Amino acid sequence: MSPSIELLSPAGNFESLTAAVQGGADAVYFGVDQLNMRARATMNFTLQDLSAIAEQCHASNVRAYLTLNTIVYDHDLSLIKTILQQAKASCIDAVIAADQAVLAYASSIQMPVHISTQANISNIEAIKFYAHFADVMVLARELSLKQVKTICDEIQQQQIYGPSGRLVKIEVFAHGALCMAVSGKCYLSLHSHNASANRGACIQNCRHKYRVTDIEEDVELEIDNEYIMSSKDLKTIDFLDELIASGVSVLKIEGRGRSPEYVKTVTSCYHEAIDACAEGIFSEEKIFEWTNRLREVYNRDFWGGYYLGQKMGEWSNASGSKATTKKIYLGKGKHYYSKTQIAEFEIEAYQLHVGDRILVTGPTTGAVETTISSLHINDSGAAEFATKGDRCAFPLECAIRPSDKLYKIVNANQ
Amino acid sequence: MPTIVYRRNKCIGCNYCTEQAPEFWRMSKKDGKSVLLNSIEKKGFWTLRIRDEETDINERAATACPVKVIEVR
Repeated sequence: MSPSIELLSPAGNFESLTAAVQGGADAVYFGVDQLNMRARATMNFTLQDLSAIAEQCHASNVRAYLTLNTIVYDHDLSLIKTILQQAKASCIDAVIAADQAVLAYASSIQMPVHISTQANISNIEAIKFYAHFADVMVLARELSLKQVKTICDEIQQQQIYGPSGRLVKIEVFAHGALCMAVSGKCYLSLHSHNASANRGACIQNCRHKYRVTDIEEDVELEIDNEYIMSSKDLKTIDFLDELIASGVSVLKIEGRGRSPEYVKTVTSCYHEAIDACAEGIFSEEKIFEWTNRLREVYNRDFWGGYYLGQKMGEWSNASGSKATTKKIYLGKGKHYYSKTQIAEFEIEAYQLHVGDRILVTGPTTGAVETTISSLHINDSGAAEFATKGDRCAFPLECAIRPSDKLYKIVNANQ
Repeated sequence: MPTIVYRRNKCIGCNYCTEQAPEFWRMSKKDGKSVLLNSIEKKGFWTLRIRDEETDINERAATACPVKVIEVR
């Protein structure tokens, strides 16, 4: 009998937040302002968004966790207090933290804490230490399944309780980008560009190509892949039954910098996989189908991370994504006729044809995909295609809003 | 006369500008972002005119800034 698993999805903005909820996330995590590991991203939430985030999540029975897990300096302390007070007042469910200053202050105002992977927890004594502060702990990403299981078993055996009086829960990364540094504690971007990954400013230069030269002998080492520091992305859906059986309670999907359709696709695949494990219908055919869907959205190719033991050579061999599909911007939302369930868009680029696979994204709409079955343009009746400047309408089950964007999904090599 | 232009809302509070040019930059204890001392704000851009001999250290601050929100014009 496996306990219920919480699926935790990333939300970099309201589009992704809605997409995560649509995909079936049990909880979402997000950052505000500059003190989060995606500070460089332009689309971060602000303090003022906290209430709206909590309201939207709680209305769908989804928990909302605030990340506050960067390195903290003295000049940040007052901001941290402001953020934590605001989070508490906005009914945010927990804060994900690594620095002791954040742990201490959050505890002092009874704000529930989860320990971030940035704290690098890799053994049971560390769990015992952090159990004074937190009920949920994210393990270091470099542990094997066996090590994860040992920690989960020991929590049961030694009856390690968190501040809530319940046994400590273990969270692990299930899907998304990995990096060459131990649980993200990387210095490379800081060394080369003065941009600290640990303040959310990583410029991802590990994803570039490199040459390795032995300067003393002046020979360039022969390596079969120049992307020597760029790890493939983690994908655990192939052995999710084993990962769940190890005793973990929370599965985290990485990707606050990713698009809403990425968040929705990955969340729904893992949601289905968790259900399949619980119902005993987890199978090779399903894994194959999920993998195909996961390949459609952004990825650097996949591997199973360190759970199955260290494997050499699991490095990406291209820059950017190996996704099998890409999206092309077509236009923006105009109107939704809710009685007839017809969505109207204005085409600003390219053409939209009957039979095209489309994607609509927006803060309230999230990420909605469908295939065009019929098309009307400029109030002049049915048409086979709509082109730049046209107003077109087609049946869509979900309501759209004027801020929404319309995309066509095509094969990546098209 | 050179001018420093600073897009403060994008600051991530890393502290490097204050290390390079402490006479001009200070970390705010209130919101954790850097403050360009004596500057004037207009539509999110904070500007300050400086003397020629003050250019070097502020350019060093601009170079050090990981999110490139400091510019010396």
